[in-house]
Amino acid sequence: MTLTRNISAVVRKECLHILRDKRTLALVILMPLMQLILYGYGINTDVRHLSTAVYDQDQSSLSRRLLQALEQSSYFDINFRVESSHELKQLVDRGDAKVGINIPPDFTRDTLSGEEGQLQMVIDGTDSNPANSALNAGQSIITAFMEREGLIPVRARPIDFRPRMWYNPDLKSSYFMIPGLVGFLIQLLIPMITASAVVRERERGNIEQLLVTPVKNYEFIIGKLVPYIMIGMLISTLVIGTAHFLFKVPIRGSVLLLSALTFLFLIVCLAIGLFASSVAQNQQQASQIVLFFASPSILLSGFIFPRETMPAFIYYLGNIIPLTHFLKIIRGIILKGLTAQDLLPQILALSVMAVLIIGFSIHKFQKRLG
Amino acid sequence: MNDPAIEVRNLTKKFGTLTAVDNISLTIQYGEVFGYLGANGAGKSTTMRMLCGILAPSAGEGRVAGCNLIRSPEAIKQAIGYVSQRFSLYEDLTVLENLSFYGQIYGLSGQRLRERITEVLKTVRMDKWQNRMSGTLSGGMKQRVAVANAILHRPKILFLDEPTAGIDPISRRSLWELFYQLAQSGITLFVTTHYMEEAERCQNIAIISRGRVLTQGEPARLKEDIDGDILEITCQPVMAGARAFREIPQVKAVTLYGTNLHLNVEKGADITSRLREAANREHIQIESIRNIDPSLEDLFATIADDPNA
Repeated sequence: MTLTRNISAVVRKECLHILRDKRTLALVILMPLMQLILYGYGINTDVRHLSTAVYDQDQSSLSRRLLQALEQSSYFDINFRVESSHELKQLVDRGDAKVGINIPPDFTRDTLSGEEGQLQMVIDGTDSNPANSALNAGQSIITAFMEREGLIPVRARPIDFRPRMWYNPDLKSSYFMIPGLVGFLIQLLIPMITASAVVRERERGNIEQLLVTPVKNYEFIIGKLVPYIMIGMLISTLVIGTAHFLFKVPIRGSVLLLSALTFLFLIVCLAIGLFASSVAQNQQQASQIVLFFASPSILLSGFIFPRETMPAFIYYLGNIIPLTHFLKIIRGIILKGLTAQDLLPQILALSVMAVLIIGFSIHKFQKRLG
Repeated sequence: MNDPAIEVRNLTKKFGTLTAVDNISLTIQYGEVFGYLGANGAGKSTTMRMLCGILAPSAGEGRVAGCNLIRSPEAIKQAIGYVSQRFSLYEDLTVLENLSFYGQIYGLSGQRLRERITEVLKTVRMDKWQNRMSGTLSGGMKQRVAVANAILHRPKILFLDEPTAGIDPISRRSLWELFYQLAQSGITLFVTTHYMEEAERCQNIAIISRGRVLTQGEPARLKEDIDGDILEITCQPVMAGARAFREIPQVKAVTLYGTNLHLNVEKGADITSRLREAANREHIQIESIRNIDPSLEDLFATIADDPNA
């Protein structure tokens, strides 16, 4: 009975703190929503509407139809038609055009006669991501165009290679980014607010008073953490809900499983916060420690950059970041409809982390109290 | 209730090679206001933490509020209240919210909790302030709330760690009135302080230095037992006087009191001529020399300066 009594007293008190500090509460709830809106509307790594300059020396119906096909794909916006290759180069150099297309004068003749038709595509490669997309899009549009026109492909293709995208056929980056964002924000916000909530008690001397009361360490810690689990669940529900209803991100897997595993991830994040609070002397230090761990996880977890292309050492380093595993879970459930069985390795990894970090933090925390 | 409230024997606490508390023995009766005096770092807080059951002693034994210090430190927590030097309640919660939280932790709830909160707030005369945010109260008021909080669960012993540090003299006096009122209701008060005039108000005191109790007993008795006479000297310039008079062999200690000097001199020794001599040599003007009754501060200065203590 004492167990529940003391814990609920601490929970109630902590809720009062949270409700009293409305600015922090608003920040913690609005920040994820704001980021979501930014990622949903603003930050779009989909490459569409690339400004394109064309130098059409052929001026044939075939070249016109090809350009039309490129423009219809919505990948390329033909904003400039130029009269010299020098002009074309200038536009790309200045960055007014991201893509330059040079159609030589004998394009139609060469193509129709079965010789290799020459078509030059100049792409601004400063930013490798849109450059790659432009290259791929251009190639596939041109190949499709050739087939449609009944033209003999330039080279005989022994293998009919037709890639097809699964899970995200339109390659919408929001599908990829938003579920990741949920994980990233939880890993950043939850440890930070928990750590500062715990450190605050020490910083302001409240711990001193609590020590002489019959409240046990674990009752205090659990009571302190429960409200932040609730806040974490609220944030994730809010963000995933908005993503689903506003940005039409489909949820293909079980919502229940997603909630359960989000809960598991929250526990790990709380443990990180607890760890930071057991090491830190004040709130500022605590948030610095949390940031210290959060920053590399942006790069290493696969939140933005694919882990598969990383060097082996960095790849394995990413495995010790909780976010890495949660990203697989949340993307897997939302986009692929994966089940708990499919995600067993990730679930195990997170559980092990939770137990280890909590164990260590409580041990450390008790020493600090004494 | 004939057993003492606090009885400890040979209490010692070592942190590594440092001995923070060295072989301390204390006996404190119920209803007593006990003053624990010492400079910062003398071991006051460490002693108090051991008596509160939150720090295990390295050696020694004892009972606090009838609970064994070594075997049942958790039971002590239910029987004591604690007020720290720094306001350690939640500043962003109201007085009422703070008391409710601690009341719940001590097992009070519902109607009983509400009644008890009203009662203790009346005791400390803070009942009109229960909806105020604790952080906005003045220093003296905060300490009153802290005292109310510490007596919520009707403890037998109240530990007060420098409860009046940084508080204005008027609030300090009224806090002491509150302490006496509590002592009269049978609660034992264990107060650490380095205000000597506060120590005079205690029934019994112990003076500690470097972890050891130098002397303990009733303030009046301790002052009588002081070894030597106290001279009060008014002179100009006072600092030069302090330096010069310290050189006189019969002078055991020199303490600065405002614009005066207090000299602890060997009993019965007449050093007036030596004082004049030293004053002439150092161009110090002596305005008056008086024999006075020692204060606790003189006692403190005497024993703290004694290398044999």
